[in-house]
Amino acid sequence: MKTLLAKFGLIKSKTTTLSQNTKEYIRTHKTRITHIISQIVIYVFLITIAYVFLFPILKMISLSFMTSTDLVNPEVVWFPKVFSFSNFAVAWRVLNGSVSLVNSIQYSFLLAFFQTVISALTGFAFARYEFRGKKFLYTVLLLSFIIPVPILLITQYNMFNSLYQQFEWTGVGKGLNTYQSQLIMAFFGQGVNSAILIMIFVNFFKLIPNDLYEAGKIDGANPAQLFWHITIKLSLSTIVVVFLFSFVWNWNETYVTNMLVGDGVELFTNQLGKFDSLFGTRASDPARPDEGSGMQLVESYKMAATVISIIPLLLIYFVGQKSFVQGIEKTGITGE
Amino acid sequence: MAKNKTLKSLTATSNIENQNKIAYLFILPWMLGFLVFVVYPFFQTIYNTAFQITREANTLVYTYNLNVTGGNFGTAFRNLYFFPELIDFVIMEATYVPTIIIVGFILAILLNTGVKGQSVFRVIYFLPVIIMSGPVTGILRWNGAGSLLDYESNIVFKMILSYSPGLAEALSGLFSNFTMVLWFTGIPVILFLNALQKINVNLYEAAKIDGANGWQILWKIKVPIVKPTAFVTAIFTIVQLGTFALNPVYYTIQNSIYTSAAGIGLASTFAFIYTIVVFALVGIAYLLLGRPEKIKQVTLSSIQRLNMENIAKRRLKQKNREVVVK
Repeated sequence: MKTLLAKFGLIKSKTTTLSQNTKEYIRTHKTRITHIISQIVIYVFLITIAYVFLFPILKMISLSFMTSTDLVNPEVVWFPKVFSFSNFAVAWRVLNGSVSLVNSIQYSFLLAFFQTVISALTGFAFARYEFRGKKFLYTVLLLSFIIPVPILLITQYNMFNSLYQQFEWTGVGKGLNTYQSQLIMAFFGQGVNSAILIMIFVNFFKLIPNDLYEAGKIDGANPAQLFWHITIKLSLSTIVVVFLFSFVWNWNETYVTNMLVGDGVELFTNQLGKFDSLFGTRASDPARPDEGSGMQLVESYKMAATVISIIPLLLIYFVGQKSFVQGIEKTGITGE
Repeated sequence: MAKNKTLKSLTATSNIENQNKIAYLFILPWMLGFLVFVVYPFFQTIYNTAFQITREANTLVYTYNLNVTGGNFGTAFRNLYFFPELIDFVIMEATYVPTIIIVGFILAILLNTGVKGQSVFRVIYFLPVIIMSGPVTGILRWNGAGSLLDYESNIVFKMILSYSPGLAEALSGLFSNFTMVLWFTGIPVILFLNALQKINVNLYEAAKIDGANGWQILWKIKVPIVKPTAFVTAIFTIVQLGTFALNPVYYTIQNSIYTSAAGIGLASTFAFIYTIVVFALVGIAYLLLGRPEKIKQVTLSSIQRLNMENIAKRRLKQKNREVVVK
């Protein structure tokens, strides 16, 4: 009955307002076509930009496989005729890979660990408590982000230098050739981009409902227990985000490291920075010293070294890719 | 009941007293670090600018030298490298920051149109943030991988070059590193996208009722709402470009620390001037973007109208239902 009625209604409407319907049909069709065109334009634009983004990386990967003849061959643009994996072996030797890799991971891990712990503590204080000077301190924290590094680093360098001289006789401080100084700074909440990390924590901790803390207090928990059992256990994902960011930023940081560590510790970044000068002494294969004597530094080796040095970061990114994006959104620094 | 209430208020007051101290306990490491590693170095470095500082037997010797020749500042002005590099830095900031903000905003708007594969694009645009370190960008730039376009043979570029070589130089700085410029948009895109997604959909509908087209919605609603985000992005980008390891000023400062003739005093002066320039750039960004804009009153009133219409519609529906029930 219903369907019949509907059919009847449909037929009726068609017969009476045919011209109107065709107009409507044409209009919707038109908007659909413009919609499709605009979609295509958007996709073309986004894909082009994505290509521009990836271009240096793709070019680098392509070059890293090329032999020296492929490099000068004008026919070879993207795909080398012979995939040469020996570039990577040479690059690995020049970077002193087995040492640098362990050092880089250890260095970034330790610094990220300290930074995460201290940022969480500081973020907790800002998010949960009212205390005198809170607003002032928070403003100062945000402002500290725009202070350029050199103006601080000069005095920091002198401070650590004299500190290590003072304690030289005890044999405790190993001085400026280790990353001790950066560990100390990270422990006191002044590592790379610490302000952002603290901000991520503050904004996330504010979301935890107050009732949980009230309940915890009624059960007789002290502030440390509240921090551990409620805040930390509820924000594991945020902790991962902050840790990953800190790890990556410490890995990529070179200016402070150059000043405070210098050549003392072999890291992927500083070995890559000195690739040209290291090439001469390290490039030849120690097992076959005669073959390497005439080795030329071509860009393939450099590209292979760059690929090697970013592989750990790429692995981290593709595992924790969602966390990174969410982390930036969580900072809440969108301006409200 | 009454007993409970007094108990609660008692504990509440005692907690507030305690909370102060406990908060300071949590914040203590950061506060100490801030005083020792930020506040003290900041003012010490400024103080250094008035002295010639030499290292003798591992102690620093300060000699006051702010005399007629201008001391460290005079030397800094006469330095062959520092000021040209500083000017290069300012040109870089002035061309890169607007480009990064505009490109980031456009990308965010396009991603926000509901395209499929939004997350894939986001992953690609964010990737450089993860791998961008000084040596890596250095090597990629040196290799020419940063430049895509053969802009120098472009006729428009040649015309600009003949009229204003300065502008042409700034443009060529931008285009020869266009990929590297884009690489800085990773975080801005995410921030803009986040801000755009937070805009109340009612605003668009209200604007459409007022007869606004897509272009007007963009300029009258999206741009004003996103403006605070643009300010945050601008500051972030200014700082990021500053810490960018290829910033030539950094290395001049670093190298002058080690040279015995100039020493720490001159390096401090360089750092001080550089800091003032960065603060000035942030100040300019504040003047341009820092103050929030009000969205046109018209759209706000039409939101109210829309809400009222919705309420009226709901009431009508309810009435109809009541009629059906009857």
